Amino acid sequence: MFKRTALTLAIAALLAAPAHADLTINGFASIKAGMTLDNDATLYGYDDDLDFKNESLFAVQVMSDLGEKLSVTAQLMGRGREDFNAEFEWAFLSYQLSDNLQLNAGRLRTPFYKYSDFKDVGYAYDWARVPEAVYNLDFDNIEGVSLYHTTTLGSLDSSLQLIAGSFDGDAVVTGLTVQAKIDQVLGAAWELSRDGISARLAYLRGDTSLSNPDIDALTGILTASGLGAVARAIDVNEESSTFLGLALTLDKNDWVAVAEITRTEVDDSLIAEQNGYYVSLGHRFDSLTPYVSYEKRDNDAKRDIIALLPQGVPAQLALGVTQAVERFEVKRDAWNLGLRYDFHPSAAFKAQLTRVNNDITDDDTSLVTLGVDLVF
Amino acid sequence: MQLVKVMLLTAACLVGAAQAEIAVVVNPANANAVSADDLNRLFLGRSSSFADGSKATPLNLAEGQAARAEFDSKVLNRSAAQLKAYWSKLVFTGKGTPPKELADDAAVKAALAADSSAIGYISSGSVDSSVKVVATF
Repeated sequence: MFKRTALTLAIAALLAAPAHADLTINGFASIKAGMTLDNDATLYGYDDDLDFKNESLFAVQVMSDLGEKLSVTAQLMGRGREDFNAEFEWAFLSYQLSDNLQLNAGRLRTPFYKYSDFKDVGYAYDWARVPEAVYNLDFDNIEGVSLYHTTTLGSLDSSLQLIAGSFDGDAVVTGLTVQAKIDQVLGAAWELSRDGISARLAYLRGDTSLSNPDIDALTGILTASGLGAVARAIDVNEESSTFLGLALTLDKNDWVAVAEITRTEVDDSLIAEQNGYYVSLGHRFDSLTPYVSYEKRDNDAKRDIIALLPQGVPAQLALGVTQAVERFEVKRDAWNLGLRYDFHPSAAFKAQLTRVNNDITDDDTSLVTLGVDLVF
Repeated sequence: MQLVKVMLLTAACLVGAAQAEIAVVVNPANANAVSADDLNRLFLGRSSSFADGSKATPLNLAEGQAARAEFDSKVLNRSAAQLKAYWSKLVFTGKGTPPKELADDAAVKAALAADSSAIGYISSGSVDSSVKVVATF
C-alpha cells in the first residue's frame, strides 16, 4: 500500500508542481549494436545477427524543485529490449533535512553495487556495460525510503545511504523467471573517498519469496509424497537473504582501476550462494580510454538438498530435484577489452570485445559491442 | 638600461598574467578563507557551506569560456568529459545538481554583488572592486 501511495504522490506532486517551480530536465541515451562471433551463440541478449535494440535505451528525468527543501524527481526510461515502452524507472520525493542529510521516498534504485545508481547511464563509466558477473541481481528498484548523508571525516569524504523498503514483481534469478517478493529490505551503503581513491561497502538483507510454476510443482509433489522437509529446503518462502558487496576504485594520473566483489545468500532454499567479482584497469590518453577487465562468477549448487532424499525415492522425482538444484550452479569467467572515445562533450563512442568461458559446458562465446552513450 | 628594465618588467607582468589567469571571487562582505580543498568540495557538490558555516552558492562559468576550462583542469583536476561523467552520476541518482552556469565574467560579478553567499571565478583581468579575490590559479 505504502509504495503505491508514495509513487502516486510523487507523480501527483510532479504534475501539480506550480508553474514557477524550478524544473530541471536531463536525459541520457545509449544506442548500442552487438553480435556474437560464434554460430548460434547467444550472450547478454545478443545472438549471431547484428542487433541494435537489445541494450539501447532512452531516458528523461524531470526534477522539480518545489522550494522549502522539497523536490520531486521522476525518471522515465524506455529500453530497446522492452520495445522502448517507457516506464517509471524511479519516482521519488526528496526532502533536504539538513545541509548534508537528504530523505528520499518512493521508487528508488537498490544500492547493491558501486554502479547501481547509474548503471543505465553508460556515459558515466568507460565500459560498454557493467560487468555481468557481479551486476546480475534483477531487483534494481525497490519501493521505500532512503536516507543519504554526506560528510567529511578528517580528510576523507564520506557518503552513507540507509534504505528500507520492499520489492514486488517479476525477476530473473540465474536464468529462471520468477515472481518475486522481498519484504523488509534493510540496507546500508557506505563510501569513503580521498584523492581519487574510494572504498565502498554495502550490506542489504530481506525476506525473499520466489515462485515459479516448475519449482512450485516440484515442491507440491515432494510434499504430497511425504517429503515435506525436502520441499521446505527447496522452496523460497520468506527466506532470510543477505547481500554483501565491496568495491575499490582508483582514478589517479589518468589510470582508472576498479574492483568489486559481491556475495548473495538466500537461506534454506535451492538458490545457490552467488559469488562474483571483477577487476578492471584503464588509462586515459586525452579523449581515448582503452581498458581491460576480467570478471568471474562462481555459484555452487546446494547439493546438500539432493542428499536429503531418502533411499528408494522414484528416480523421476530424484532427477527433478537434482536438476532443479543444479540449474543454479554457475561457473564462468570473462575477459573484456574495450575503448572509450570522448568524441563530443556530451557523447562517448565505445567498442568492446567480450569473451566468456563457461566452465560447466566448456563453451567459449565472443561478443562485440559498438555504441554511443550520451547525456543531455 | 632603462630599456632592459622595461623589458624585464613587461616579462614579469606577462609571466604573472600566465600564472594567475583565473581569480576565485566572492562578495566583498564575505570574510571566509577558501582553500583549494574547499573549492573542490564546493564545486563538486560535496559541501555547501563556507568555513564559518554560512551557506555557499558556487557559480560556474558556461562551457566554452576560457576560465572554465582553466578552473576545471587546475582546481578540480578533471577534464570536461570527466566532470560531465561525474555530474551525470549525481544528477541521475537525485544526489546532486551541478552549480548554476553563468554566461561570462560580467554575469558572475553581477551575481556576486547580488548574493553574499555566492562564490565564483573569473579571468584575473576582469577583477575589479565589486568583488573580493580569495584565491588565484
